Amino acid sequence: MLDAYAEGTICKINCDAMKKDVVVLGLGNPLMSDEGVGCHIIEQFLAQSEKYPSVDFIDAGTSGIAILHYLANRRKAILVDCAYMGAKAGTIKRFTPDEVNSTKKLAHESLHQVDVLKIIDLAKQLNQCPQQLIIFGIEPESIKPESQLSKTVTAKIDYYIAAISKDLAL
Amino acid sequence: MSKNLKIDVHHITRVEGHGNIVVNVTNGKIEKLEWQVPEAPRFFEAMVRGRSYEDIQIIVSRICGICSITHSLAATKAVEKALGVKVSEQTDIIRILMHYSEQLQSHILHIGYLAAPDFFGVPSVLPLVANALDVVKTIVKIHRVANSWSELIAGRPTHPITIKPGGFTRIPSEKQFRELMETLKSTLTDLKVIAGVVLSIADNIPKFERETEYVSLKQTNPPTYTFYHGDITSTDCNGRTIPINDWHKVTNEYVVEQSTAKWTKWHRDAYAVGALARFNNNSEFLTPGAKEAAKMFGLKKGCCNPFMNTIAQLVESVHVAETSIAMIDKLLTKGLTEEKITVKPKAGKGSGCVEAPRGILFHEYEFDNKGNCVSADICIPTNQNHANIQKDFEKLVPEILDQGQDAVRQKLEMLVRSYDPCISCSTHMLKVQFVK
Repeated sequence: MLDAYAEGTICKINCDAMKKDVVVLGLGNPLMSDEGVGCHIIEQFLAQSEKYPSVDFIDAGTSGIAILHYLANRRKAILVDCAYMGAKAGTIKRFTPDEVNSTKKLAHESLHQVDVLKIIDLAKQLNQCPQQLIIFGIEPESIKPESQLSKTVTAKIDYYIAAISKDLAL
Repeated sequence: MSKNLKIDVHHITRVEGHGNIVVNVTNGKIEKLEWQVPEAPRFFEAMVRGRSYEDIQIIVSRICGICSITHSLAATKAVEKALGVKVSEQTDIIRILMHYSEQLQSHILHIGYLAAPDFFGVPSVLPLVANALDVVKTIVKIHRVANSWSELIAGRPTHPITIKPGGFTRIPSEKQFRELMETLKSTLTDLKVIAGVVLSIADNIPKFERETEYVSLKQTNPPTYTFYHGDITSTDCNGRTIPINDWHKVTNEYVVEQSTAKWTKWHRDAYAVGALARFNNNSEFLTPGAKEAAKMFGLKKGCCNPFMNTIAQLVESVHVAETSIAMIDKLLTKGLTEEKITVKPKAGKGSGCVEAPRGILFHEYEFDNKGNCVSADICIPTNQNHANIQKDFEKLVPEILDQGQDAVRQKLEMLVRSYDPCISCSTHMLKVQFVK
């Protein structure tokens, strides 16, 4: 995004861009190894975004409840996140919120403790949830302070992109 | 009177941070009463070592998903101090506007998603949708405005991408600033609605007081209700300040057995940071609307009820919206100009400080002559509040012992929530079980 502007210069721009019909949200923290796989995948998609003119690709990081706003006024949303699913490390699974139960325990002490599935519930209750909502969960191999993905997950990035791309054509 | 209590609010998650509340009372005697933070260290300081001064902000913006703008600003100020970089008045104003957007984002979330369920007596925001749909919708609307405001200036609502040492890589147009100003005028109306709702349930805010040292920034030239400029002060300082570079003399970090997070102390055995601290040090410089909001709730300088931190956040929400309207007007009157950013790496060390929504935040970096980081030190507001939460527990529990186990547990949880500790934002992964 920054590359569009000459380094060293402030550029006034008009970014009144309309929200696109479909959004792909990459969630997680790229400083915690595989936990940030969603952000790494968004980076890959952004490099080829011209192939998907009606799709917004957003690195939502650990923005928590702000996910609610990314979902509003969309026809379709795809969330890509690291997920403990009891599967083999590197496994990608496609599911809808109705197909899973959250086993996450939250202290509800802080805004920093977030369960994405509960945010989706809130979006539904507020009637602000896209008609189609798909989650791609990727089972981590390594979650620790580290800016690189694990070897297992790195080796499968192209496979993940191909799997998610199928949903972008629909 | 309850003679025995056993409370163990223990949240075990594999990686996400958490806090535990432990209370053991036998025959009316408190045997154990602890606020425990057994969170794994995150090593962000180690991650920036060896990296260029240009990379620091991008990395530290991932420390927190709620305070990513604040971390970015503290880091950028520290880098600029170390490298001897000055920024223009225009950059300074736009950075403060960016910072205010995050204050509003975080405060309205705290009021609406964490505190309001307590005040309404429901376990979370989800049942609140059924009980008070219009209130939740208004909260969401204000939060959405604050998010769009952050996105406009920071390039995205969280984890900013437009800020650089020396300035911005891009800024909004005058038209966009004008639109933002109009939106904020309408947000002020929404904030008044929320203030009215909170006032109607304000009797549910526990009446509890403990003499506390409150630490925040203080700006004297010009006198300002500051989140961004100034030096460090406390309610024990009689108006004196100490320079940002001496922040270690304030925090005096130390290790305790019950917590993996470091604790801090200054003039007493604990101090508090956050909205109430800022209010107690600077409230005379609030905008008229913010002063009016404080008056509605009887919030006065010298308040030492930690549960009122939420009210101070509401007051600050009005303040940042009102101040931002005036700042945008100033920007537009002068007109925006394109600026060249010129930064040359050199060896140096600098500290940067800003007020995060939940309190004063310190970053410090040292660079070699190529501009690569050789050391880093960060002290987050939540760590500065841990000792104070413990001290609040120790005064509060004996006062409410006779209310029974559930009431004690609920009040202690409410107390922790009033500080909104940042203890788990490094990871947010899903944990799911497939429905068979």
